[in-house]
Amino acid sequence: MVEALAVASGKGGVGKTTSTLALGMALADDHDVTVVDADTGMANLCFHTGLADADTTLQDLLLAESDAAVEDAVYDRFGLSLVPCGTSLAAFREADPTRLRAVVAELAADTDVLLLDSAAALGSQSAVLPLVLADRTVVVLQPTIPSLSDGLKVQEYARSYGTETAGVLFNRVQDDEAIDRVADQAEQYFGGPTLATVPESDAARAARRAGEPLLAHAPDSAAAAAYRRAADRLDLQDGDEGAVADRFRSAVIPEPP
Amino acid sequence: MTGPDAAGLEIPRGRLVRSRVGVASALEAAFSRELTGYARIEPDSLLADGEPGVVTFAAGVPRAAYCERGAGGGEEPGEDHDRERGDGPVEGDSRGVDALAALAGPGPCSVELYELPADALAEVHDAAEFSVPPGAPAEELADDPSLAERARERAPDDAHDGDASALESFLADEERIAAIQEEARAEAEQRAAEWGLDGELE
Ligand SMILES: Nc1ncnc2c1ncn2[C@@H]1O[C@H](COP(=O)(O)OP(=O)(O)OP(=O)(O)O)[C@@H](O)[C@H]1O
Ligand SMILES: [Mg+2]
Repeated sequence: MVEALAVASGKGGVGKTTSTLALGMALADDHDVTVVDADTGMANLCFHTGLADADTTLQDLLLAESDAAVEDAVYDRFGLSLVPCGTSLAAFREADPTRLRAVVAELAADTDVLLLDSAAALGSQSAVLPLVLADRTVVVLQPTIPSLSDGLKVQEYARSYGTETAGVLFNRVQDDEAIDRVADQAEQYFGGPTLATVPESDAARAARRAGEPLLAHAPDSAAAAAYRRAADRLDLQDGDEGAVADRFRSAVIPEPP
Repeated sequence: MTGPDAAGLEIPRGRLVRSRVGVASALEAAFSRELTGYARIEPDSLLADGEPGVVTFAAGVPRAAYCERGAGGGEEPGEDHDRERGDGPVEGDSRGVDALAALAGPGPCSVELYELPADALAEVHDAAEFSVPPGAPAEELADDPSLAERARERAPDDAHDGDASALESFLADEERIAAIQEEARAEAEQRAAEWGLDGELE
């Protein structure tokens, strides 16, 4: 196990899932990468990966009376180990979010990089848990004030649990000149460097429609190249495998109903 | 009663056409009715010290902005700051993209839309210091890229060509960012206790 990274944004729709899968595929050239849809309230990784009909998902693993094994919810696709989350509202309500720890601990034991696609919201224990569990975060931003202020907020939430920022990704960038100034300014507030600025891209939209990660659907696009640069710039830190698993396993008091 | 007033920004009150709407629906309504006039934006609670502001429109396209709150946050009156320019803003107010930065951010706002004859706005719309890019209010205040795009398309070609964006102005405001961070940290810690995660706090 090298490192568990939460991909977070604070705000919805900025491209977390797109970015998680793109970073994952770029990192997969050199590492074993597992991507978990930890956005359990608004799961959508399955729609980016053609796994909408997956039999067993993270939702099954989070049910208290579940007898599903973690490996049943792991799908090898696009050179990644993918753990999609189901989209059943009933199952979400019944899920015990604290079981995510045990699931993640087990996954962490045999992968190099664990990417947790995290919720946009910060309003519940299940939304915040990935930030608690991860070693560091990658914050995905769009170059707008609401996105930056939500990104700062998510960074602060993560930091309060001792989870620092590994880097920042600017997504859906339209103004190439302004973004360099913005990224420079933003760097003083974020704990990690700007990993890349990803252009607004038809390829990203087309990939989502096709149910494929961007790097599989349009590997030669400018956006894909930007994600590969981001992966290169991300300096992964070697975690202590035992300590990571312990942290994941440590018990928490379940959220009141 | 008179409309919004501030040094250098004098506009008559005009005719009220919409009240008590959020920023997003106000900007959308102004655009679809091709409003010439202004939106008076009142933060319901913008961090500790929200102040009202104004965005003006010509044919539904945003043209100018003003906020009684300085983009420089809690600076003391008389303190030197490099934002001052032109004939000198009132202490602590902000204009153009700085005003958008002061108005943007977390927290809902209530908006009233007023209609005015175009010539009532001519002076404000000629003053570069108040000018905003046509898509900026939708992007920065309403988080609505599609409305921003439509506003840019409808805008005349010579609309705002300033360089520093509202986002840059927001990021230059260190005190405001520190306030967002402090508030988020306090909220995170309080919620951690509610969620039984306080044992994980550092
Ligand atoms: N660089 C880009 N250019 C254009 N469209 C993009 C880009 N990145 C993502 N998108 C599109 O934006 C939409 C939202 O992206 P994505 O699902 O990755 O966001 P998200 O942050 O995970 O959203 P949510 O908060 O709903 O989980 C998708 O339709 C996606 O194809
Ligand atoms: Mg997503």
